[in-house]
Amino acid sequence: MITCKNLKKNYGGKTVVNISELTIGDGETIGLVGNNGAGKTTLFRMLLDLIRPDEGEILSKNENVAQNQHWKNYTASYLDEGFLIDYLTPEEYFIFIGSLHNLSAAHVADYLKQYEEFFNGEILNRGKYIRDFSKGNQNKVGIAAALMQKPELLILDEPFANLDPTTQIRLKSLLKNLKTTHKLTTLISSHDLNHVTDVCDRIILLEKGLIIKDFHTDENTLKELEAYFSE
Amino acid sequence: MLSTFLNHQWKEFWRSRNKAGSIVAQVLLGFFILYFLAMAIVVGFGMELFIGKIFPGQNTITVFNSFILYYFLIEFALRMQLQELPTLSIIPYLHLKISRRQIVNFLNIKSLFSLFNFLPFFVFFPFIFVKIAPSLGMLTGAMYMLTMVSIAVFNNFFILYLKRKAINNVMYFGLGLSLILIGIGLDYYQIISLRNVSNNTFLAIARYPFIALFFTLAAALMLLVNSKYLLANLYTEELSSKNDKKVSTDYAFLNKFGRVGELAALELKLILRHKRSRSSALMGLFFLAYGLLLYKPEMIKTDSFGMMLFAAIMMTGISILTYGQFMFAWQSSHFDGLLTNKIDFKDFIKAKFLLFTISSTLITILASFYGFMSWKLLLLHLAAYLYNIGFGTVVVLYFATLNYKRLDINKSASFNWQGVGASQMILGLPFILLPIFIYLPFGTLDHPFWGLFAVGVFGLFMLLLRNFWVKVITNKFEKQRYKIAEGFRE
Repeated sequence: MITCKNLKKNYGGKTVVNISELTIGDGETIGLVGNNGAGKTTLFRMLLDLIRPDEGEILSKNENVAQNQHWKNYTASYLDEGFLIDYLTPEEYFIFIGSLHNLSAAHVADYLKQYEEFFNGEILNRGKYIRDFSKGNQNKVGIAAALMQKPELLILDEPFANLDPTTQIRLKSLLKNLKTTHKLTTLISSHDLNHVTDVCDRIILLEKGLIIKDFHTDENTLKELEAYFSE
Repeated sequence: MLSTFLNHQWKEFWRSRNKAGSIVAQVLLGFFILYFLAMAIVVGFGMELFIGKIFPGQNTITVFNSFILYYFLIEFALRMQLQELPTLSIIPYLHLKISRRQIVNFLNIKSLFSLFNFLPFFVFFPFIFVKIAPSLGMLTGAMYMLTMVSIAVFNNFFILYLKRKAINNVMYFGLGLSLILIGIGLDYYQIISLRNVSNNTFLAIARYPFIALFFTLAAALMLLVNSKYLLANLYTEELSSKNDKKVSTDYAFLNKFGRVGELAALELKLILRHKRSRSSALMGLFFLAYGLLLYKPEMIKTDSFGMMLFAAIMMTGISILTYGQFMFAWQSSHFDGLLTNKIDFKDFIKAKFLLFTISSTLITILASFYGFMSWKLLLLHLAAYLYNIGFGTVVVLYFATLNYKRLDINKSASFNWQGVGASQMILGLPFILLPIFIYLPFGTLDHPFWGLFAVGVFGLFMLLLRNFWVKVITNKFEKQRYKIAEGFRE
């Protein structure tokens, strides 16, 4: 699905991402962990062609993401509130995103029904613009809009942050279920080691832009990670 | 404290992202300021000579007296257009151990560093030293000066007050404009002669010098009103968010443009749902009055369209200018989202063109009431309109790809003064000057209608080339998008 080659990004003389080789296969669920400044968000931004790598390239389905827009057809993402058009109501936002993927308003409404539980009655028909929602609820809008696009590649940056415990658990089961229903490659970054090891089947540990560890999850993973971070 | 603020401002300016753009603007502005100062000094020292030449045989002091208030009326009108609101992003300071009064004081003091406040020193003071003080006494001279400074300060804070109010409610801009129009109108129709009022006022000051203190009092009061307003509004960031129910809307008329129409609808919502963009849209309606000021019967009779072309371009293209100068930055808060979603950049650019075309068309239709003045004005508007939608849009969108400065459209409008005033006006110069350059050769050779024709044909030609321009701007946009996105993320 994704290949990074000799990927480098510098800011002010410091290398924030430095990945010589990374391949992500179809259908994998990847958890990206690392302390602040490890380069997780920068990597995501490069994946989404929001910033230009200083060296190297990222191939998505064997096409360089910076050279054409084909990846947009099968990629959905939510990194932060900067992805939301915050002066729209959630309904308008969903309809707009849906229209980009040729979904009619009725389709969108129909589709959103399955998220009633996830939304917990706090999102739809509230008569508010997105900017008037709390951060957690804005997150929900962004994540739901990303999932609605039926992507083959899903990129979420700290999706569990700002969510209440109930929604965190619901989101986890949502992500697990998606894998079973259709082929989906997922990239999630998180500071919550419990959640990532629970959801992901492969963990990539970044530190100062370098990949320190890359392994498949098993029952010892959580302990290993905790040991690493408590050093 | 004051020096710390100034230091931060200094850093903000030099470290800002589109430094190049603002430096060019500042340098240009600097030249204008030098030019005006030089003019003012020449006028100031030559005052006696000029008055003698232009009004031979009249008492120079009387003539001088009678023009002072004129000067300040014109100054007021110019300030309305040009004076910048002093900016200081206040939010980072509000929670610190800095009293609000200090912040307000800083804003007030900074506003005094305006060219307008220094001009009277150069224009009037030489004459006062040379003529008034010797013939009417030192005290009178001093009081003359005090009066002038007071009026300048009064104007300064009155304008700032109006402008601050106008950000939330455009009617205040209208109020200022109508004050100017009433002033000019009363004088023009000889109901009240401004010259006599001015002369009598200063005659009174010459007789009872301490009347001048009345003006000082007025200036102090204005300062107080302004400070009060600022102080009160430093607290209430969210004053404006009313809890009325928001509804989803759909603009059916845009649907027939497909995806481009959807993007245009998105932007239309942006304009209508934010105070700041809404006011700049409404400002366009006020500009419809520009023609009343600038279209003169003699000009229409003699077909001298040069000056009027300027007004026509401003009127029919105002929405393009005011909205376009901050282009892309309006969307800075969700720019990443726009880039990662499945949006063709070409559609994105086309949507902007569509929106500009619609708004300019609407305003041109509204402006057609000038047809009652003369049918020639309709031709003039048509030429200006074609130029605006054909080429004005291109200029604005091209410059937009060079704008990396984030605009916080959501922040309370009262403290969101990014780029209100002169610097933006100067960047608008090429937009305005090009059609005048096209017209000029025809105008000077006495073929005014061919001149209009040329401007119109130029616009039409560019309009036909629109797909080409869309491609050019899209390419530029694709190259610049990382830089733009990075700037908007800050």
